[in-house]
Amino acid sequence: MSVQKLISNRTSQQSASNSDYTWEYEYYEIGPVSFEGLKANKYSIVIGFWVGLAVFVIFMFFVLTLLTKTGAPHQDNAESSEKRFRMNSFVSDFGRPLEPDKLFSRQGNEESRSLFHCYINEVDHLDRPKSCHQTTALDNDVHFQEAPRSSGRPEEELSRLMKFELPNFINTDQNSFGDDDLLISDPPILENKPVFQTPHKDLD
Amino acid sequence: MKHIINPYENINDSGRNISDCPPVVLPEEIFFTISIFGVLENLIVLLAVIKNKNLQIPMYFFICSLAISDMMGSLYKILENILIMLRNMGYLKPRGNFETTADDIMDSMFILSLLGSIFSLSVIAADRYITIFHALQYHSIMTIRRTAVILATIWTFCTGSGVTMVVFSHHIPTVLTFTSLFPLMLLFILGLYVHMFLLARSHARNISILPRANMKGAITLTILLGVFIFCWAPFVFHVLLMTFCPNNPYCICYMSLFQVNGMLIMCNAVIDPFIYAFRSPELRDAFKKMIFCNRNQWNY
Repeated sequence: MSVQKLISNRTSQQSASNSDYTWEYEYYEIGPVSFEGLKANKYSIVIGFWVGLAVFVIFMFFVLTLLTKTGAPHQDNAESSEKRFRMNSFVSDFGRPLEPDKLFSRQGNEESRSLFHCYINEVDHLDRPKSCHQTTALDNDVHFQEAPRSSGRPEEELSRLMKFELPNFINTDQNSFGDDDLLISDPPILENKPVFQTPHKDLD
Repeated sequence: MKHIINPYENINDSGRNISDCPPVVLPEEIFFTISIFGVLENLIVLLAVIKNKNLQIPMYFFICSLAISDMMGSLYKILENILIMLRNMGYLKPRGNFETTADDIMDSMFILSLLGSIFSLSVIAADRYITIFHALQYHSIMTIRRTAVILATIWTFCTGSGVTMVVFSHHIPTVLTFTSLFPLMLLFILGLYVHMFLLARSHARNISILPRANMKGAITLTILLGVFIFCWAPFVFHVLLMTFCPNNPYCICYMSLFQVNGMLIMCNAVIDPFIYAFRSPELRDAFKKMIFCNRNQWNY
């Protein structure tokens, strides 16, 4: 293209200066292009490109929805199960009853347990959990949201009092903040500041 | 960037048979409107974060970086339109020194905003990933100082690349580097979000959340990635075609849609605040507070 530029710059100066509506100062002479004898539609690349793009995005969407229905291959991975356990330890007492020995039998459960008790205190007082800041590095804006399961269970009241907001993807029908869900709103909001910024959101 | 990317605007040459695929010309008013919307929205996001101390955390700094790059892209378009109008009214020479320099500066700004956008999106995805998978060490991993270092590195790299690419714009390695950045970043972002999605899905199963929540997660993820792909891919493909098959009639027909592809990038600058910044309830609250505080001040 640079070679063409050298050849064409001289010849194009006169013709380009006549143009009134273009903004360019270098004119790349491409040479005569013939549109005769095209086998396919002349917009075939355009159509092919956009169709390919749409197919890719739709395929991605279907893969994601399929993943929601079936299991993931790495589900039994120890690392992911530990993360799941960490999250479970927060909601265990307010969700389905989890086996208590499982709750405390893993390594690293000390920290989970302290965070867990922070949330219990939060529920009890329904005010800013000051005690939690000293015990944990994780700010109290990490909260998990969970659907109240069925009415008439004793945990139901507790879960109503204490709304957990799961980091990104999980949302429930009783979501207190409307349509922000999933990746849209923040992942567990981990703030640097010790001040509890938005209590009203969690505790309703 | 027009002089580099769209050599077909000047079709007065009778030796070429381009009339079969004339360039699609969009009225300048559309570009103006979209760009002004883009600038205003991203400015609002920036102001909301600057004015609120509780929003000054790494996550919002990355969203601000995205807002700045989108704003720069829209500003570029506005400046280009103004220069075109001046040129059409006869105030500017087509090949004067000022015009050449201005054109180069604007091209650098455009590439800077492109690269800044891509890198900001990647960094936002990485930040969310760390938040989920290293939740307890997040504070020590992502300190304010590290955030500043990351952002400074990104923007220095983008500025350097922008200037380099404009200087060496008609060499093939430059084009290849530029166009390969897009799929690489896309794969990176896709990988991060899919992994996050898998974790959230497995957690959802453990606490028996309705499957509707997972469907919403899939929709959100598709929107995030789909907007990125739909807005950027056409332009990147254009750059590829322009480098490798400028004489092919099929390629010419694709390249005649250059202005539509440019408009998609402007649309991306307008849509990004809605899918990143305004989804956060804190930023929405800060924004409302800003509006109502201003209104109260005006009432007095």
